[in-house]
Amino acid sequence: MAGQAQENSSLSTVVADVAGGVALALDGEGGSYALSALLAQRDTVALAAIRVLGADVLAPYALNGGAVRGGSDAPDSQVVRRALAAYPPGADASDVSLWSYRGLVEASRAFLPPGGEDWPVEPQAGDTWVRTDPWPKLAHRASQLAALSLPGLAPGLAAGLAARTDDLARGFVRAVRRRDWLQAAGLGRWLVRMPDVPDTLGLEAGLVFVHRMSGGDPRVSLHASAARCFPGGSR
Amino acid sequence: MTAASPAVLHRVGDQALAWLDAHREYFRLTDEDRATGRGIVERLKPVGELAVNMRVLAREGVAGSRQHDISVRLLDHVWRDLLDGGNLLAELQRQEPLSPVPLEIYAGLYELGHRHPGLESAIDLARGTASWQALEMVPNRRLGLLNAERMIGRVPGGDPGKVLAATWLGRMPEPWTVQLHIAYDITHTVFHLTDWGAAPDRIPPRVADYLARYLPAWTADWAELEHWDLLGELLVVDACLPRPVLDAGMWELYAAAQAPDGAMPVQGAMPAGERAEVFDQVHHPTLVAAFASAMATSRALSADLAA
Repeated sequence: MAGQAQENSSLSTVVADVAGGVALALDGEGGSYALSALLAQRDTVALAAIRVLGADVLAPYALNGGAVRGGSDAPDSQVVRRALAAYPPGADASDVSLWSYRGLVEASRAFLPPGGEDWPVEPQAGDTWVRTDPWPKLAHRASQLAALSLPGLAPGLAAGLAARTDDLARGFVRAVRRRDWLQAAGLGRWLVRMPDVPDTLGLEAGLVFVHRMSGGDPRVSLHASAARCFPGGSR
Repeated sequence: MTAASPAVLHRVGDQALAWLDAHREYFRLTDEDRATGRGIVERLKPVGELAVNMRVLAREGVAGSRQHDISVRLLDHVWRDLLDGGNLLAELQRQEPLSPVPLEIYAGLYELGHRHPGLESAIDLARGTASWQALEMVPNRRLGLLNAERMIGRVPGGDPGKVLAATWLGRMPEPWTVQLHIAYDITHTVFHLTDWGAAPDRIPPRVADYLARYLPAWTADWAELEHWDLLGELLVVDACLPRPVLDAGMWELYAAAQAPDGAMPVQGAMPAGERAEVFDQVHHPTLVAAFASAMATSRALSADLAA
């Protein structure tokens, strides 16, 4: 299984590299952003990393209201198309996997040039859990789907989660207590967009705390930067 | 969240009380304690806790006749045999006239009908000084002292509202910063503010909202850490809220942690060792279990439960 382990380690490295690049671009320190430029190797690992990070690989394009990048054959469009084709959700895919895929398709449609070719159809993703999950499970899933908190994506999901703001706030508190910085930061991204987030949560200080305590985890940095770039409830 | 069944809530307390009764001889002062005077205050702390608990049982009206008998037997034991009818507390006050400890222990016993006029006049002597009010202590303990003064029929020497505002809970800071000691500050603030659950409406609405919002997160976390002593205290706080949750999942975990003989471990599994040593380690969480059970059972039978 050495090969498998190596591949996993290589995937997490590429995910971290891309997340770090997105975070830098969101912070305005990365110059002009290009996803394809972050992917040194054009192999399955790069495509898998795109699938792991989902819509967040296109987050910097959401900064200026989604300005179109390049022509129809722009490298970013090509690489995202290949990732969507390589890792479609299977027949038994979880709701999180379906939503994440859906988020990447929605983000591509919103932030990448239309080109000649259609983007894949967004799969239907179940949302009963948004209403029925107990708060710890809800918080876990919502955090995994933090990329869908980008402006304009999945408005129904965002509205459903907004109705459970207190439950997400509980999840944030518990995640920080458990030192699960990634979950806390992902929840923080949803919470900064919610109109009824309680002042007592101390969310702004919480996100700074989480970011610092994570010791520079690039995926936490991505969430922290996105939370700064995309605050407020208007979509 | 589903509310726990009153049967589960009640059983935890019933078993805890049976264990306390079977171990009442260990509410004790050793010969060494008496000879050196060291550690007496530490030894007497459980007595104050016991009195408070027995008062909760009597007040909430959820104790059966067997529980009532146990409670009378336990209190008679500590008042007569351990405190020498209050003389021990009076002696402590004589040795250290400004100490708040004798009052803190006496208040619960007073409410249950025990009296020591000599001790009360010594407490009044201390209360008459400016020094008494200037004593430095953490705000949640100060809140407890004001409550103890009220319990023995004195006018509290301070404004509980102002003292509450100085506690951690009263300031309602970032809930994600709560650590073990902060959590105990929170629970004790609620205990003193509500007179050990007798007056839940003394929690100001904004503080009750804060607790209702974040208590589930703290409770879930310390349940996962199997910290039964703190979990029990957090379950008491829940039972003090306007709309308690009485979460079935949390109560089942808590009940499952209780030893077959009724003892509740502090954290993780029951410690091994001599009976006296084990008593010293687990009497507090077991008293808390009796307290939490009485409060929750009472609320389950009377309150509007949270959805």
